[in-house]
Amino acid sequence: MTAASSTPEQDIVAAIREQVGNAVQDVKVDRKGRVSVVAPKETMVEVAAWLQRAGLDHAITVSGVDRPRENQLDVVYFLSSYCREDIKGLVVSLKIHLDRENPSLPSLTPIWESANLFERETHEMFGVAFEGHPNLSRLLLQDNWEGPPPLRKDLKIPELA
Amino acid sequence: MRIMVKTDGDLIVEATPDIGYVHRGCEKIAESRNVIKNIPMLERPNIADASHLNWSYIKPIEELQGVEVPERGLYIRTILCEMNRIASHLYGMAIMAGIFSGHTTMYMFGFGDRELLLDLCEMLTGARMTFSFFVPGGVRRDFPRGFKEKLLETLDYLERHLGAIDRILVSNPVFVERARGVGVLKKEDAIRLGVVGPVLRGSGVRCDVRKDAPYGVYDRVDFEVISFVEGDCLSRWLVRFEEIKQSIRILRQLARDVPKGPIAKKSPLVVPGGEAIGRVESSRGEINHYVVGDGGDKPYRVKMSTGSFKNLAALPFLLKGVRIGDMPMVYGSLDYWPVEADR
Amino acid sequence: MAAETESKPETRSTSPAMEASARAWVGSLRDLVERVVGSAPLKYVVNWSRIYSLWPVHLMTACCGAELGAMMSGRYDPERFGMQAAAGAMRQSDLLIIEGTVTKKMLKRVKVVWEQMPNPKYAIAMGDCACSGGLFHDSYSIINEIEKAIPIDVFVPGCPPRPEALLNAVIKLREKIRREEVYPK
Repeated sequence: MTAASSTPEQDIVAAIREQVGNAVQDVKVDRKGRVSVVAPKETMVEVAAWLQRAGLDHAITVSGVDRPRENQLDVVYFLSSYCREDIKGLVVSLKIHLDRENPSLPSLTPIWESANLFERETHEMFGVAFEGHPNLSRLLLQDNWEGPPPLRKDLKIPELA
Repeated sequence: MRIMVKTDGDLIVEATPDIGYVHRGCEKIAESRNVIKNIPMLERPNIADASHLNWSYIKPIEELQGVEVPERGLYIRTILCEMNRIASHLYGMAIMAGIFSGHTTMYMFGFGDRELLLDLCEMLTGARMTFSFFVPGGVRRDFPRGFKEKLLETLDYLERHLGAIDRILVSNPVFVERARGVGVLKKEDAIRLGVVGPVLRGSGVRCDVRKDAPYGVYDRVDFEVISFVEGDCLSRWLVRFEEIKQSIRILRQLARDVPKGPIAKKSPLVVPGGEAIGRVESSRGEINHYVVGDGGDKPYRVKMSTGSFKNLAALPFLLKGVRIGDMPMVYGSLDYWPVEADR
Repeated sequence: MAAETESKPETRSTSPAMEASARAWVGSLRDLVERVVGSAPLKYVVNWSRIYSLWPVHLMTACCGAELGAMMSGRYDPERFGMQAAAGAMRQSDLLIIEGTVTKKMLKRVKVVWEQMPNPKYAIAMGDCACSGGLFHDSYSIINEIEKAIPIDVFVPGCPPRPEALLNAVIKLREKIRREEVYPK
């Protein structure tokens, strides 16, 4: 049976399932140019190291998403490649679900140094602790900020219509 | 921003940037406003390059809604974005290569030429800088009468005047001596630090979202991605100067090929459940908007990631070993826009 | 012995009466100078010189800075009013244009700049954000009313105000200085 030519997204999903499939919770092609991977906190470093060896050499952004209704806080890493021509146009997202009360996870700065400032900002805005980050000091907020981390849903600002 | 510098005589040993002086909480405010009402607010972080921020916010919302923009709308969007790119590069050259290097003539040249482009933008959208022109589904207005002729006239003038800018800035021996060999960023460091835009292309990495993951009509026009291998301040400025020429080339092709048809498709004013990320190449680098929706009319989470914030990682690295007198040149060559980095 | 010291007069060059009259004379000289300088023709000249050389500080707070930059360039030409971008710092300028949003982190630095400027000094609040908070009024990190920290002479609405509107504000400020209706600082 001749296989139809597969897209780079499908290639990556197949490789992840084959090689680190037991370390991820979910992997799928979202839409054209987007692959999403969900990994638990315990195995995320192994998955990240594999992704880096596969050619994803920088993080384009790191974001937190606060979900109080599910009592969860997600941290999402978006990764792409500068050097590999076949996966240059892809964005692979690595999502980790964390407990909302005490969110902490190992920092991926040793693997992708481009995630340094983004992790620092996520720490300040969401209160997530990144173990092993070189410098988690204040970045954007004023020096005497008191209150919950601003981007959590606990801090309310008036809603306009 | 504030840069705290430790020196040994004249050489900088360590530099720590301190940012956050314009942090206005855009991402938090975006969660409490309607998806359309967020557009003017999310456009303000980079007011000189507002159309790119607008497109990067609208793109994931259109992906979630499943709306496809008609052809004419895409052409109008691309034309406005390229005009904005030229205007933003002229601003960068006026202030960063001009004032920061003690060169007031470039300031006047840059701002004077920029005014012609702002006149065109005002003719098309009604505003000089804060267009709020893209909505989910298309654009708000069509070309007014006489726009194409005025655009081609302005492009002809710009091409002639680039020769004058070349003589006073880019080929000026004083500027070249100040910028050559200063603040070198090698290719491996550029990739490792994750820098974007002209800073990346000035270090020999030929990456541009317009070619790698094309959006709009960039896959139908003919242009080159400029990059230089030296990685010093001069190559970063040359990248920006050559990009203006490439943008003029793109604009001529677009003005010739605009098809007829509708400019927008009606789209519901809700953000459906799901998440999407938008990637757009602005004048300072790649901009990403990560939008999470929950079905209501307000986005659940908007994360903005701008070119200046990504390039900030290069500043402490570049300033090590540089003389104090060269600091404005290194800082200027990154074309750092503080409002965009702080949001 | 005691009689000898008592009989010698004190070695002072002036007597208390002379000192009192000198003080009165200096006092009246100062009065005289103030009255002369405060008289209408000289006051007119002093104000005229202040109006024709308003140098703004280079303090770019937020996005309105793009329009301030456009105003200081060739098309709008503020140099015909004597307004040029002072290359020196705050100590040689007399106009502070607060353009854009002032965040809580920036407020301390704006006040430091304001206090370093020598008298007479004036302030213009440019843009909706400086007047009343503007687009970002419900943010957690900005100051909505900057006039409580710094006395403002002219407010310019707009988001961002056109360069012509900012030049109009400078003209209004000049009228205020001419008529001496500015805040005492």
